[in-house]
Amino acid sequence: MTATRRGLLAGLAGACAGTAASASTPAPDAGSGPRYGMVVDLAKCIGCQACTVSCIFENAVPPGSFRTIVSTYEVTLDDGPGHRRAGMAMLPRLCNHCAEPPCIPVCPVGATFQRPDGIVVVDGDVCVGCAYCVQACPYDARFINAETETADKCTFCAHRVDAGLLPACVESCVGGARIFGDLNDPDSTVSRLLAAGEAATLKPEAGTKPRVFYLGLDAALAGKVDGTPTLWRPESDPPPVAKHGRA
Amino acid sequence: MQSITEIVNVTREVSWLPWAVQYFFLIGLSIGCFLLTLPWHLARRARWEGVARLALAGALTCGLAAPVALLADLHQPARFWRFYAHPNLGSWMAWGAFFIPAYLVGLFAYSWAVLRPELAEDAAARGRLAPLYRLMGGRPSRRLVRATAGLTGIGAALVLLYTGMEVAVVGARPLWNTPFLPVQFALTALAGAAGLVLVLQRLIGPRAAEAEAALNGVVALALGASLALGLAWFLLGLSGLSAVHAEALASVSGHRRWLLTAIWGVAATLAAVLIALVRPVGSGLVTGLVALHAAWMFRWTVFIGGQTVPKTGAGLYEYTLPLGPAGLAGIIGTAGLCVTILVVIDALLPPARGPGSTTATAERI
Repeated sequence: MTATRRGLLAGLAGACAGTAASASTPAPDAGSGPRYGMVVDLAKCIGCQACTVSCIFENAVPPGSFRTIVSTYEVTLDDGPGHRRAGMAMLPRLCNHCAEPPCIPVCPVGATFQRPDGIVVVDGDVCVGCAYCVQACPYDARFINAETETADKCTFCAHRVDAGLLPACVESCVGGARIFGDLNDPDSTVSRLLAAGEAATLKPEAGTKPRVFYLGLDAALAGKVDGTPTLWRPESDPPPVAKHGRA
Repeated sequence: MQSITEIVNVTREVSWLPWAVQYFFLIGLSIGCFLLTLPWHLARRARWEGVARLALAGALTCGLAAPVALLADLHQPARFWRFYAHPNLGSWMAWGAFFIPAYLVGLFAYSWAVLRPELAEDAAARGRLAPLYRLMGGRPSRRLVRATAGLTGIGAALVLLYTGMEVAVVGARPLWNTPFLPVQFALTALAGAAGLVLVLQRLIGPRAAEAEAALNGVVALALGASLALGLAWFLLGLSGLSAVHAEALASVSGHRRWLLTAIWGVAATLAAVLIALVRPVGSGLVTGLVALHAAWMFRWTVFIGGQTVPKTGAGLYEYTLPLGPAGLAGIIGTAGLCVTILVVIDALLPPARGPGSTTATAERI
């Protein structure tokens, strides 16, 4: 199945939009402390949502809200009669813990900030719940927690990281698709994966310098996805026709 | 040909609630109403005399109700003190916490300055409140009126600046991230304020043909300019001459509900402009209501509509107006608060006087 998806995405890369442009790899800074980041190998993600569920349990995320989710897409290539192929594409989404996070400068009370290790967090005791950071995040990664009435988001499970553990989503990932580590350590797995130069980020044009990287990211999924909205969403409008066609 | 169907994704809830729409609507109306008092109180333009009292009542009413809606949008209003305890001055919203009180203090001072002679004159008829009216009342002072109008004007400009910029700098929402947005907020606020005064003329009077014509002129001018700016926005986006406008247009094009909203907005606004121009006297209730509708709908479309555009997902998020405080009850509640404040202000303000009254004569000296 994985091979099928690899093949499909490889086909997409050749025939259509192609894989997303590789992100500039952050230079490891061994002299300073850790700078955490994540690499997601999309070929290994099976869309089981174990990460989604473990995150909810680990962080007491209220019903209906998500700090991470695996967006799942059906991608169809239609190159004429007899040449129609379809496959699934997975895209785990979470806070990108950007090097240039647009959510931080807009916060009117400085409640959201970046720790020295790069993890972007929200101080719930200071947050006023104005949701300005929710608006400013280009990745829809933030939301207002219905129970605390403050801004909420992925923290890379900072409480676990501080205790020497992996984020819950990483630990629960069935396929080992999520790899977490120190970008400042040239010997870490994430640094070695990035050194190959094939990792891409979401919306690189936003200038946020995400520190969540993807291997095998299709360009058509790197930004706002142009497609038919999710099937279970009540939609009064007729779905817009997805136009990716290239003659 | 490649096509993508989203199978699993998350819908992000609207986080700037209808309270935010109400706040931006009311603070805009308050500032617009304040501006409409100036032709009479600063320049003694006779046709604006009938506008000034109603506009002042509108400015105070909306100015008092707006922060209530803003606080409600914080999800837990008592947190507002943190804006002053931990201000991040790199954020436009943080500045708003200082600009709003500055504007409101100025507005109260300006109201007092223009009403001093009438408060003194009205004291005898106020029973137990007479000492208060005598204390607040005083001789007319053009210098005081000019000074307080200047301070309020600065506060109003700062509020217009921060409310516009706060939204326009959000690069993650292409629909918001255009330099035209703050100007559109200001123009529709002025049109809405003129509309509010036109409606107040019918509800609490006094009705004056000259004043109605003047207000209809403001409605036509502000809405006409708003339409022209909207056309420029559309053409810049369509032609691709401006990348931010092209991105803004692309974020909503291809969706029928946005097309219907655009047609509705343009048709209603155009109709109001034409009616105001063709029949400037006698049409005030209609043009007033449509101008109010334009100001409110513009903000609703920008805020609520804008938040239904996913940043990463396909299509549009669904939004259904909740019936509770975060939705319909909040909107109706804000309107009820405005009516209550207006009734109190109308009762407390000295009654409208004709051009021949002692105060009016004294003010002309």
